[in-house]
Amino acid sequence: MSPRTAIRMVLPGALVCRPLAVRVVAEACRLVSSPQPHAEAVDLSSAGYDLRNRFDIDFISAFMEIFNNIAVHAYRRTGNGDVEIAIGVHPGELVVELKDFGVPFDLSTVPEPALDELPEGGMGIHIARTMLDEMAYEPGPPNLWRMIKRIAPSQPA
Amino acid sequence: MSNHFSVEQTGSTAKVTIQGTLDINSAPVLAERIDQLVATKPALVSVDLSGLELIDSSGVAALVKLYKGVRGGGGSFVVNGARDQPLAIFKLLRMDKVFNLQ
Repeated sequence: MSPRTAIRMVLPGALVCRPLAVRVVAEACRLVSSPQPHAEAVDLSSAGYDLRNRFDIDFISAFMEIFNNIAVHAYRRTGNGDVEIAIGVHPGELVVELKDFGVPFDLSTVPEPALDELPEGGMGIHIARTMLDEMAYEPGPPNLWRMIKRIAPSQPA
Repeated sequence: MSNHFSVEQTGSTAKVTIQGTLDINSAPVLAERIDQLVATKPALVSVDLSGLELIDSSGVAALVKLYKGVRGGGGSFVVNGARDQPLAIFKLLRMDKVFNLQ
């Protein structure tokens, strides 16, 4: 990854920490989807997430599900372990890698949800896969999730 | 916007208002209230999501549980005001028609 902008953070792999990670990734999304002069680009003072751009909506929807997966499956809801997040902001592309040190996950065993049967679970990976251009998982430890989304050609870069 | 939900019940009609984020952290709290509401077999439940900013699969699951409970009891179910990220998720999961979005 050789991004124009690199953001790195380490935080506990606990669900209570997810909102903080979401806020940072939401701002990174805006750096890709709505580039502004640097002085105006990052505004963490907003009380809300203000997700209106389709790029931002899709990426954050996927990110929330992957963070949930780490907290619930890798760390078994204990929060006993870190998540290392690396955000690469490229022109027209956002790359986010999440590294955890918990129990490996077998992505190949996750079935597609039967949406016509109104499932009450098993939708998270489907959401992430569908919302991203690329999603990869390498079991470890450390386990590595790689999430990539690009601005669609019809969208302003 | 802080996370908040409320249930206003008048006779056999109930209005559920959900604001902020409905996710793996907040959905279990809503689920408890859903059980209480469904037990009354309401004839109509309208869910106001105009203040809902973010939802994840656990939040969707909570709404599906509410939908199934209400419909299972013979009631009607309608969702009002879904927008932005929650609306995108409902469409992705093909629940926009199931929830009778208004």
